[in-house]
Amino acid sequence: MVTLDTTTVEDRPSTRPAGIRTTRGHRVFQTVNTVILLGVIVVTLYPIVNIVARSFSSDAYIRSGKVNLWPRGFNLTTYKAVMTNSMFWTDYRNTVVYTVVATVVAMFLTTCYAYVLSKKDLRGRGVLVGVAVFTMFFSGGLIPNYVLVTTLGLKNSVWAIALPNAISVFNLLVMKAFFEGLPAELEEAAAIDGLNTYGILWRVVLPLSKAVLATMVLFYAVSFWNSWFAAFLYMDHSDLMPVTVYLRNLIAGATNGTSVGFTEADATAVGANIQAVTIVLTTLPILVVYPFVQRYFVSGVTLGAVKG
Amino acid sequence: MTNISRRSLLVTLGAATLGLAGCTSSGGSDKSTDLSKNRTDAMDTFAVGQQFKATAPVTFSTLLNDNPGYPEKGNWLFWTELAKRTNVTLKPTVVPLSDYENKRSVILGAGDAPFLIPKTYPGQEAPFVASGAILPVSDYVDLMPNYKAKIAKWNLQGDVDTLLQDDGKYYVLPGLHEDVWIDYSFAIRTDVLDALGLQIPKTLDDLHSVLKAMKAAHPDSYPMTDRWSQPTPGGALLQTLGQAFGAGYGGGWGYQNATYDAGSDAFVLTGAMDQYKAMIDYAHTLVAEKLLDPESFTQTDDQAEAKFTSGKSFVISTNAQELVNTYRPGLAKSVPNAKIVKIAVPVGPAGDVKVGLRLENGLMISKKARDSKDFVAMMQFVDWLFYSDEGQIFAKWGVEGVTYTRDASGGFQLAKDVDYVGLNPTATKKLNVDFGFSNGNFAYGGSTQLLESTFSAEEKEFQKVMTARKTLAVPPPHPLNADEQEQFALWEAPLKDYVQQQTLKFILGDRPLSQWDAFKSELKGKNGDQYLKLVNTAYDRYRSKKNGSDKS
Amino acid sequence: MSTTKAVDLPPDTRSRSRARSDPPRRSRRTWRQSLRRDWQLYSLAVLPLLFFAVFRYLPMLGNVIAFRRYRPGGSMFGDEWVGWRYFKLFWHDPSFWHVFTNTLVIGVLTLVVCFPMPIILALLLNEVRSRSFKKLVQSVSYLPHFLSTVIVAGVVMQFVAADGPVNQLLHHIGHKPILFIQQPGWFRSIYVSSELWQTVGWGTILYLAALTSIDDNLYEAARIDGANRWKQTWHVTLPGIRPTMVTLLILNVGTFMAVGFEKILLLYNPLTYPTADVVSTYLYRMGVISNNFSYAAAIGLFESLIGLVLIVTANRISRRAVGTSLW
Repeated sequence: MVTLDTTTVEDRPSTRPAGIRTTRGHRVFQTVNTVILLGVIVVTLYPIVNIVARSFSSDAYIRSGKVNLWPRGFNLTTYKAVMTNSMFWTDYRNTVVYTVVATVVAMFLTTCYAYVLSKKDLRGRGVLVGVAVFTMFFSGGLIPNYVLVTTLGLKNSVWAIALPNAISVFNLLVMKAFFEGLPAELEEAAAIDGLNTYGILWRVVLPLSKAVLATMVLFYAVSFWNSWFAAFLYMDHSDLMPVTVYLRNLIAGATNGTSVGFTEADATAVGANIQAVTIVLTTLPILVVYPFVQRYFVSGVTLGAVKG
Repeated sequence: MTNISRRSLLVTLGAATLGLAGCTSSGGSDKSTDLSKNRTDAMDTFAVGQQFKATAPVTFSTLLNDNPGYPEKGNWLFWTELAKRTNVTLKPTVVPLSDYENKRSVILGAGDAPFLIPKTYPGQEAPFVASGAILPVSDYVDLMPNYKAKIAKWNLQGDVDTLLQDDGKYYVLPGLHEDVWIDYSFAIRTDVLDALGLQIPKTLDDLHSVLKAMKAAHPDSYPMTDRWSQPTPGGALLQTLGQAFGAGYGGGWGYQNATYDAGSDAFVLTGAMDQYKAMIDYAHTLVAEKLLDPESFTQTDDQAEAKFTSGKSFVISTNAQELVNTYRPGLAKSVPNAKIVKIAVPVGPAGDVKVGLRLENGLMISKKARDSKDFVAMMQFVDWLFYSDEGQIFAKWGVEGVTYTRDASGGFQLAKDVDYVGLNPTATKKLNVDFGFSNGNFAYGGSTQLLESTFSAEEKEFQKVMTARKTLAVPPPHPLNADEQEQFALWEAPLKDYVQQQTLKFILGDRPLSQWDAFKSELKGKNGDQYLKLVNTAYDRYRSKKNGSDKS
Repeated sequence: MSTTKAVDLPPDTRSRSRARSDPPRRSRRTWRQSLRRDWQLYSLAVLPLLFFAVFRYLPMLGNVIAFRRYRPGGSMFGDEWVGWRYFKLFWHDPSFWHVFTNTLVIGVLTLVVCFPMPIILALLLNEVRSRSFKKLVQSVSYLPHFLSTVIVAGVVMQFVAADGPVNQLLHHIGHKPILFIQQPGWFRSIYVSSELWQTVGWGTILYLAALTSIDDNLYEAARIDGANRWKQTWHVTLPGIRPTMVTLLILNVGTFMAVGFEKILLLYNPLTYPTADVVSTYLYRMGVISNNFSYAAAIGLFESLIGLVLIVTANRISRRAVGTSLW
């Protein structure tokens, strides 16, 4: 019988206690490490805090370059302007729907293919990998892609976003590398127990791969969340656009008229902090969801032994 | 990104008008004249001053550039009133403004475009000419009495001729302005001028001495800093200066590799012109005397605006919008008693002149429309909406009595509850947002009176000075054929890059102006001579063709 | 009847597991046998293959316009054959080779700097004991990934401006201000640093995920053998994440020509063209991308070919040297 001990160990470092903990060298290392990482935080955070501060500041202070780490001339005008617009919420909802559907489709296809590719003795595996890798370098142009999506009748539907980008070869290969690292004995034992390939994948491999699955979900979800081009190309109405297109257009409208000054009728009155507000509004949901995903990165998985 | 591409499109506008041309089968002449199958719903006679109305309700598809300032709404009065007056319903494909050109290019390339494709700047139609995806609209101007009348009345044939492709036709219906519209100039702190007892500078020499006086009073600051330098360094500044020195369309945004020289009746390299050198010399003097911030040519707009609005600098490039939207509110916080004006463009050696085309963005028409039974009705409709006085007023101001009223002298007045660009700040509704008028897709160009009807008093003053200046003649067309065009494209950018780069080096003092002659011969190494030959050959060909047809 | 079936099954299962642990036999098996044995595995590949065929390979046919003259709005596959015309156009263009070299240099620099740093950061994070501090560092370091290029470029420009923090620092040590953004010599450093800033945190995710999959028993065993933490890292941790490292390295080598077009466009100016101008920005200024699709397709094919050669080479070297490879 196989028993899988997939208990997650909540605090990984604690599983590496050692007598060495007390050595002086190690204490020095811990201090230096903390200082380095604090440095990383400061360097990374400064511009971010600045952006958040700008998003809450008034135009005049931003224009004269006076906003640093704290909002000046605190106001919510731009937030209000963006968020009271019903189109904003429509498009936000679209983003959520597109992201969820596209991520589910992408995870399904990527997992299936990555698992197949991870079988080193599978006949024709080299060709199957080649099929994928080749597409990293050779791709079709914009117009053939557009004609394809139009011909398949996918325009103005979520499938125009989900299907053409369903497999990222990068993610595929990372996942494949991960599957290859799993101990083969577990699967063989499961096979002897009478599980078929689908069963092994679903009941043995995937439960052991939570960390990489979480990573892949994060990668896919973030890329779909931030993507705008497919939707922009394949959607013909503003109420089908994701929020990225909406905000991109808003920014363009705010800077366009002023930088060209060509068209008299195109003046838009949006605050100078529109870019900052945009970043906060689009990044926030990811930051909120992220801790739930992060659980899988800090926790380890112990692989149980195969008991006979 | 968007702005970059948009802006550089405008910059290369002139170059692009040379166009991808040629290779169009000329065999369609008999086909293009036979319109007997395309007259459904059209008016039998349609003339200037006449209201267009299709004989039965009809729908035309159109691309719509969706401005986030007034996002498209299905219930706009513009749509309903248009249908009432003309029997035409427009069915829009809505495309976000941010990447409009991109989508237009794809759907045209994929053969999926609607009939009407507005917001097309002259030159942007060029890539689609050779494939026959868009209509040679010049073949059908006889269906457009208002368009023809405006061209005749405002003497615009020369401007329109710059649209010609190698086959002698043009493919975009441009927006038409009565006069060259100048928007860019300098914003200057008048409170600083007053404190130093200085007058508003009228010439470039005045500007130089004003900056010197400012520097003397504030030795630690650069009196002038500038913006609009990404991606084209000194986009507005060098354009303004270059034009004032008589270097064609100027440097910066206006820069074109070839400038027409009336004296020799041929094109010369702009970068090698003495006038261009004079422009460099002037800008270099400003930098060398520490009057102009050397970062002006590479910094972001944000950085430049911050320097100006925090009171570190006193002069900066501006247009009407930035003056009101950016500089004044910014300055109000940090220097409460600061006053700024947009000065009339300082006059240089070229004299009291202005340079520019009187063409605006306009319409491309999909080739498919030609086969529609409603083709003639559509052209009449386009003519009425975009080129008749009534259509232009309707598109801009809306419905009299609902969105606006007119006084005895013909001036426009917004209705009490309607606002537009802050003209009626207490009103609750907006002309463009709630009614769909003054929409950049449909309302542009027109008479100077109509253009200025929405300007502030201050801007009208500026325009009055600029209107009085003489407009220089537009350079003659020099359409390239397809093979020339491909070669041209390979030489164009490297040559322009090199001129831009060396211009900056000269201005910033990285390279002494004593090396000017060396620079001129370096241009030859960048295919400058071959480039000129290409342009002049095309021009000669055009000239002889034109003279030939004039005689016949 | 049912008994026969029951008897049939076990040998099949047995032969399968034996065959797997015995690779040399594989080559002798015919396709028919493989299909019968692994049909369930192959069936999992059907939908993904369909995806690649329809959404990747079908549109690729459009690349034929590199050899045919394409006119926007005309036939998607071009109007007439022009042979190698478009390839010759860039092959004989000296400016092209200049920007090509720039692309290589920037690509290599980015790879050399931005590839190892996430590994180091991930290892440092792995040593952190406080869970909440680790979480904080992780979350914060991901943030730059979400910033648009426009913002990042704006931040960079402000940082290196004449009155920016870097020059203020120089001023303090008595140095004259440097207009970094106008000096060709500084462009690469500026670009690579900003890339590092933007990617280092996000890059740790994969390594952290890989770290979780290392069997704790291995550490236990190492400790019993008397290995200190440094040795544990060297002998357990690094080998544990090696597949991930090698996979990412090979992928990065294959794609290093794809430098950040948008960022360069926002950071460079005519004065820094000598070091900053890359293939994509050059083509952009030539209007090739918007006007001459055939020319762009020809250069695209050329770059694709380079990428493919690089990745195949990198993969081969890696298989020989460390025994890990993509395929």
